[in-house]
Amino acid sequence: MGWKMDNPLYSLSDEQEQQDILKKWGEERMGGLIHPGNNRLPFPLTFLIALIILTAFLITMPIWGQRPTAELYKVHVELMNTPEVERLATPEEKMKYLDAEAMKRSASHPDSRNKGQLERHPIYWDDLLNLAPQIIELQKQTKYPLDNFTVVGDKIVLANFEGNIRPDGVRERLQPWWDKGFTIDVFYVGYYCLWMVIMIKRLPHFSKKPQVPAY
Amino acid sequence: MLLKYLTGKNEDIPAGSSAIFFGFSSIFWFVVGTGLGSFNAAKLAFPDFVTGTELFAFGHMRQVHVLAVIVGWISMAFAMTMMYMTPALGNTKLWSEKLGLWTGMMWNIGLSTALLSLWIGITSGREYSDFAWPLDLVILLGVITPLCVNVIMTIAHRRTQGIYITNWFFGSCTFMVGIVLLVGNSPEYFHLTGLSEAYLTWWNAHNLLGLWITPVAAAIAYYTIPKLTGNPLYSHRIGHMHFWSIIVFYSTPASHHIMSSPIPEWLKSFASVEGVLILIPAVAFVANILLTMKGKWTLFVENIETKFSMTGVLLAIPLNMQGGFQQTRSINWYIHGTGWIVAHAHLALLGMSTFLEIAAVYFGLQQMLKRKVYSLALANIHYWFVLIGFCIYWISMTIAGLIQGAGKIYEVPYIDVVIAEHPYMIARWVGGTMVFTGNLVWLFNMWMTARAGTVLPEGRYAHELAYER
Repeated sequence: MGWKMDNPLYSLSDEQEQQDILKKWGEERMGGLIHPGNNRLPFPLTFLIALIILTAFLITMPIWGQRPTAELYKVHVELMNTPEVERLATPEEKMKYLDAEAMKRSASHPDSRNKGQLERHPIYWDDLLNLAPQIIELQKQTKYPLDNFTVVGDKIVLANFEGNIRPDGVRERLQPWWDKGFTIDVFYVGYYCLWMVIMIKRLPHFSKKPQVPAY
Repeated sequence: MLLKYLTGKNEDIPAGSSAIFFGFSSIFWFVVGTGLGSFNAAKLAFPDFVTGTELFAFGHMRQVHVLAVIVGWISMAFAMTMMYMTPALGNTKLWSEKLGLWTGMMWNIGLSTALLSLWIGITSGREYSDFAWPLDLVILLGVITPLCVNVIMTIAHRRTQGIYITNWFFGSCTFMVGIVLLVGNSPEYFHLTGLSEAYLTWWNAHNLLGLWITPVAAAIAYYTIPKLTGNPLYSHRIGHMHFWSIIVFYSTPASHHIMSSPIPEWLKSFASVEGVLILIPAVAFVANILLTMKGKWTLFVENIETKFSMTGVLLAIPLNMQGGFQQTRSINWYIHGTGWIVAHAHLALLGMSTFLEIAAVYFGLQQMLKRKVYSLALANIHYWFVLIGFCIYWISMTIAGLIQGAGKIYEVPYIDVVIAEHPYMIARWVGGTMVFTGNLVWLFNMWMTARAGTVLPEGRYAHELAYER
């Protein structure tokens, strides 16, 4: 178990340890024919693994795949009983009008995700009739803003996110950029990479090949 | 003869007996499992097929199919490979052939009882762990534990200094699956309900895939491909990367199966990142095997075991690309609860894993029986039936899943979705029935191999003699 720390990117094992491992790989006939090779990680593979780690964080960022919030349908609720909407004959026409209005207002909304969210989470007139009383009720309370509530089926519930703590001591129910799950992931990936570097660098340097005897 | 061995001394039992017992048992359960699958698919394609009897209702039959395939075919094929690969890689004998045979016997009796109980409606109702808790305990204590003991003791008594990658996986996975079953079934032992039950149910299901089915299937390829090609495994260090990334990343993201549930959102975020990181072991495994094939790709066409093995390895690519991304919030909202997931599950179990196991069972049975496969033509028919049947199934269910996803999001009336996906249900039945037919051919071919296959000369491998017949 000879360690060598002077050139860690070359190998963490001393020369004797490396030779012992290579000898073992070359001479042992596991199951008759099987030998482990000592090739390096090909560069494209290393690149791919780095890309996977990067992608894993980027694709799961809070901007993607969120459930609809109660905030999304605020405009619908606000306008659903106006004369303009009541004049329209069918539920489809009413929703077409309301969606267009909601889109128009979302363009000026500071949260640029709303337009995409509205496209991904369409609702129908019947849904709106069901959700509207709940949204109106929520607007009466001041503890949480509407975007802290998620629409789950026909119910609106307080979101399960654990966000920043506001000055009044209440925790926001919005996904923060530092989401606890991502934070744990960062450490997890970090430990894995460290462990792999140690494991791999303890092996003989890839320039050294096991001498496989002829059968 | 089996009774004689079960009651006789370990030393008197010929080497390979338990591998042969497990091998034929696994093929038998594969035929049963895919036969049930074909029957169930027919019920979805033709709603008037076998109605009026509660026992043959889809709700009774579905989980019998799933568990016959997982516990019967896949896991018994794993046990078969462990019974011959573990000692071969340690240049030794199996620690106890007698224990192996008893394990096989217990496995067949336990599984028959468990499936019968499921069929008549005794079930925990928890997906992938549907058996009632006493049967879960029988499987854990009477099947998995003795298998684990046999594998680990064989490794401990090896006559090599090193331990080859395949045996890392075999030793650790037989141990870990015991823990998975113990913890995963705890809602039944302790009457847990609600979110705790939901989470543990999917923790169990996820880890059955992640710490048992996928890694053991990959471990098989680490043996078969170098063995069949005569090439050394491309890289020991990539093997390390594969093994440790399975342990680190595959064991953690269980909650990505319940992204729509009210579990804490941070847990979903954690699981979602880990879910994408499952691509690391996948990429390492596929790269290592493809590079090991260097210079021997003709075997992909000429050799039946390589054909099956490499098809399994190649299917690992779409499997993990799907698996890595479909669990993210952005995709999961669309495909969750649709046929897409059914297609993905079959890509894992009937695609990647099954093809690798079939290769290992072909290879192992020929070696243990010391006979060459009875008919190469029948083996090729088996390959094409399973491959084409699987592809029809997979593609049709994937399309059906996308239709269901659209129907779900845009609130299309349910009956309209049912009508739209009907052609794909028929295709599903055709594909599944092709797989079942191929397996009947396989059972016949291996039975005939045992009875009338060409005897292998001492010290030769079946695949070396491909052109001597």
